[in-house]
Amino acid sequence: MQAGVTIKKGLDQVRELNEHRAERAEELRYQGKKVVGYFCAYAPAELMTAAGVVPFRITGDVREPITQADAYLETIMCPFIRSCFDMAIKGRYDFLDGLVVPHSCDTVERIYTIWQYNRRPEYSHFINVPHIIRNPASHRFFKAELGQFQKSLERYTGTQISAAALREAVALHNENRTLLRELSRLRREDPPLLTGTEMLQVLIAGMTIPADEYRGLLKEVIAEVRGRAERPPTRAARVLVYGAELDDASFIELIEGSGANVVIDDLCVGTRNYWDDIAPTDDPLDGITSYYLEAIRCPRTYRDTPGSHEADLESRYRYLMDFIDEFKVNGVISYVFRFCDTHEFDLPEVRDYLESQGVPFLHLEEDYDIAAAGRLKTRIQAFLEMIG
Amino acid sequence: MAEKRAEESIFRKRGKEIRSTKTANEASELVAKMYMRGIEAALAGRPISWVMVGCVAEVPLLAMDITPIYTENYATVCASRGAAEPFLEIAEGEGFSNLICGYARTGLGYAHRMVDLGGEVPPEAPLGGMAKPDMLIGCSTICDPRYKWYQSLGRYMNTPYYTFDVLWPPIDADIEAVKGYYVEYLLDGIRGLVSFLEEVTGKKMDMERLAQIQATAEKTREVWWQVHELRKAVPAPMPAQDMLNCIVPGLFMPGEQEALDFYRKLYDEVKHRVDNKIGVIPDEKYRLLWSGGLPPWHAMGMYKYFETLGAVFVTEMAYNLGEPPQIPDSVTDPTERMALGWYYNITNYYEKAMAGCGDPQTQRLLDFIEDYQIDGMVMHGSVSCRATTIGQINQKNMVQEHVKVPTLVIESDIIDARDFSEAQTKAQIDAFIDTVASYKESKRR
Repeated sequence: MQAGVTIKKGLDQVRELNEHRAERAEELRYQGKKVVGYFCAYAPAELMTAAGVVPFRITGDVREPITQADAYLETIMCPFIRSCFDMAIKGRYDFLDGLVVPHSCDTVERIYTIWQYNRRPEYSHFINVPHIIRNPASHRFFKAELGQFQKSLERYTGTQISAAALREAVALHNENRTLLRELSRLRREDPPLLTGTEMLQVLIAGMTIPADEYRGLLKEVIAEVRGRAERPPTRAARVLVYGAELDDASFIELIEGSGANVVIDDLCVGTRNYWDDIAPTDDPLDGITSYYLEAIRCPRTYRDTPGSHEADLESRYRYLMDFIDEFKVNGVISYVFRFCDTHEFDLPEVRDYLESQGVPFLHLEEDYDIAAAGRLKTRIQAFLEMIG
Repeated sequence: MAEKRAEESIFRKRGKEIRSTKTANEASELVAKMYMRGIEAALAGRPISWVMVGCVAEVPLLAMDITPIYTENYATVCASRGAAEPFLEIAEGEGFSNLICGYARTGLGYAHRMVDLGGEVPPEAPLGGMAKPDMLIGCSTICDPRYKWYQSLGRYMNTPYYTFDVLWPPIDADIEAVKGYYVEYLLDGIRGLVSFLEEVTGKKMDMERLAQIQATAEKTREVWWQVHELRKAVPAPMPAQDMLNCIVPGLFMPGEQEALDFYRKLYDEVKHRVDNKIGVIPDEKYRLLWSGGLPPWHAMGMYKYFETLGAVFVTEMAYNLGEPPQIPDSVTDPTERMALGWYYNITNYYEKAMAGCGDPQTQRLLDFIEDYQIDGMVMHGSVSCRATTIGQINQKNMVQEHVKVPTLVIESDIIDARDFSEAQTKAQIDAFIDTVASYKESKRR
C-alpha cells in the first residue's frame, strides 16, 4: 500500500479494502492515475493495466436500498445492475474517470448508454463480445473489437500500448490468477484453511486495486493463511456456490453460518475470473481474445456441442464436476438474482446434470438486497441438513 | 361464467373486432396459412425449421424449400387466443423461471408437451400447432433468449441447431473503422447458415434463386415502408394494432410474392383512406405513439379501448424497421446484400442521432413525434422481456428534455396474462388520456 491510506497487511487489508472500496482508488486518482470502472468478467483488465489506468470493477451495495435508480431504470431488470447504477446516481462512483462495458448480457449491454448519458464519464467504451463461438470468425471479430478498445484507451491516455507492455500486463494478471488458484486450493483441505467468506473478500479486494498491488497482497494472504494456527471448524457439508454477480459475502456467511464450508465457487466474481490463464501468444491480443471468448464459463456464451443432449450437458458442465471432485464438494447451492435470463435458462440443465451425477442441488432465486439472504435461511439449513 | 367475463372484456377482443383496415384481417389468414404449411410439410415429409425472426434466415430457408415455423410468433398466437398459460406452466414445472421470456416459456412448454405425446402436435394447440422441426435456427440478435431458448430445447429434441452472432456496433464506435469487420462477421454467419442448410437437407443452395428471392424481399420491405409513410396522415388511416398484425408477411414471409402483393394491396387500401380522409375513428382527438416495447399479445383489445376515448395509435416503434437501407446495385451476392442490409438497418440512424439527441432509439421517437403529430406516448414494460423494456424510462426522460409529451408506461407481459389487471390498466389509461387532453389544450392555447 502507498502512503496516505491505512496500511494493513494480508487479510486485514483485504477487509479494509472491502469496507472502503473507493478510498484506495481515490488515493490513486490523487496521485494522478485514471480509474476506469468496468462491469462483468468480460472486460479485459489486461488492456487497462497495460494502458496505465486502474481497472476498478463496479459492484453494487446490498445494504443500500435502491431509491434513485427507479427514475432511470426499469424494475424488471437485474437488481445487481440497478444497485450499481443507484450508487452511481448517488455519487458513490464519482471517483471513476471512465466506464468500460462488455456486452455480456442484455442488461449489461443496455446499461452502457444509460450510464453514459446520465453520468457523462470522461471516458467510455463498449466492447461487443460474441455470444456464439464460431471460430475462426468469432476470434477474428473479437480480436478486431479488442483492437478498437486498445485504440480507444490509447487515445484516452495519449500513450501507445506496446506489445511488450501488453505481454507484461498479461503476465502480471496471469500471476495473480496463479496465486488465486494457489489460495483456492488451500480450501481443498478439511477443514479448509480459509473460509468462503474470506475468499470472496479477497476477490473483491483484487477488483479494487491495481494488479501489481494485488500481487503483493495475495502473497501476504497466502503466507498468512498457510501459517494459520486456527482454521474454520470442520463441517459435514462442503458446498460449491454457483451463480453470477455475487459480490457481497453476506450470502456466503449465511451458508457458512448454517453449518457448511463453502469450499469453491462458480461465480462471475470468482473462479470464472482466474481458473484459466491467458495463453502467451506472439501477438498478445490473440491470447487475450481466446481467453475472454472461450475460457469464461458464463451461460451467456454458446458453445456448439453436437451429439446427444447428455453429451451437450457433459461438455457444458463437466468443469463443475472437476471442481466437485477436487474440492470434495457434497452439495451445490445456486444463487441467481431475479431477471438473470442467461443463468435462468441454464438452471434446469445444471440441476439435471448435477443430480444425474449424484450431486445434491439447491436453486435459489432472489433479489439483490441484504434481506434476501435472511429470507433463504430456512431453505439453506434444510438443504445442508440433507447433505451433511 | 368465465366465458361471459371474456366476452365482456374489451381487452380480450381480437381480430376484426379491433381492426380498421380490411387487409389487416387478411394477414390473419396468412398466419393460419403459415402453420398449415408446417402441417402439410410434416405430412409430405418436407423439411421444417423452427426459427427465430430477424436471424437473416427467412430468405435462405425459402430458397431451400424449407418450411419455417417462427416460434416467437406462435407464442403470440397462443397468447392472443388465451392458450399460452398451460404451456407456461409446463415450462415452469420443468424449473424454468417465470421471469424468462414468455415466448420461450411457451415454446419450451410446447416442446415438452410434444415429448409427452410421443412427438405429436398437442391437440389443444391453436391453428393446428407447430409441426415437429428437422432443424432449429437462432441467433444472438436483440436478446439473449434468442440463442438460449433453442439451446434449452435440447432437453426435448435432438435436432440440429445452428446459431450465429448478429451484432451491431454501439453508436459511439468509430463506424468507418468497425464496419468492415462487423459486416464480415455477419456475412460469415450467413454463409455458415447456408452451409448448415445444405448439410441438413443434402441439397445445394441455388444462388440465383436466392438472389431472386432476396430481391423480392427488398421490394417488399420498400412497399411496407411506404405504407408507414402514408400513416403520417391526419386522420390516422391505420392504427397500430392493424400494423402489428400486418408484420406477418414482412417478418415471416419476406421474399414470397404473396408478401409483396399483400403490402401492395395494403398500400392501396391505406392510400384510399388517406385520400378520402377515412380515419380509424370518426372523431380523432388524440394521436398516440406506441413508443416502446412489444405489444401485450394477450390483451390486444386494449388498443380499441384507447379508441373509445378518442385516441388512436397512429404508429408504433415495435417491428417498425424504418427506412429500407440503400444497398448499391454493384453488390450482387445475395448473402452480402443480406449482411449489408442488416447492418444498415441498425446503423442507418446513427448519423442522424449523433447530430440530434445522441441516442438512435430516442431520436426515432423524437422524429415520430414530429412527423406523426403525436400527442402522447405509451410504452409497454414487459416483465419477461429485458431487451425491449430496459431503456424505456431513459428514453422517456431523454424525449422530455426535447419535447414535453405525456407518456404512459403500462406494465404487463408479452405473453403471460396471469398477473395482468385489466381494471388497473384501464384506470391508468383513463388518467393518461385526461393528461393528454390537458396537454393538447395547453398547446392549443
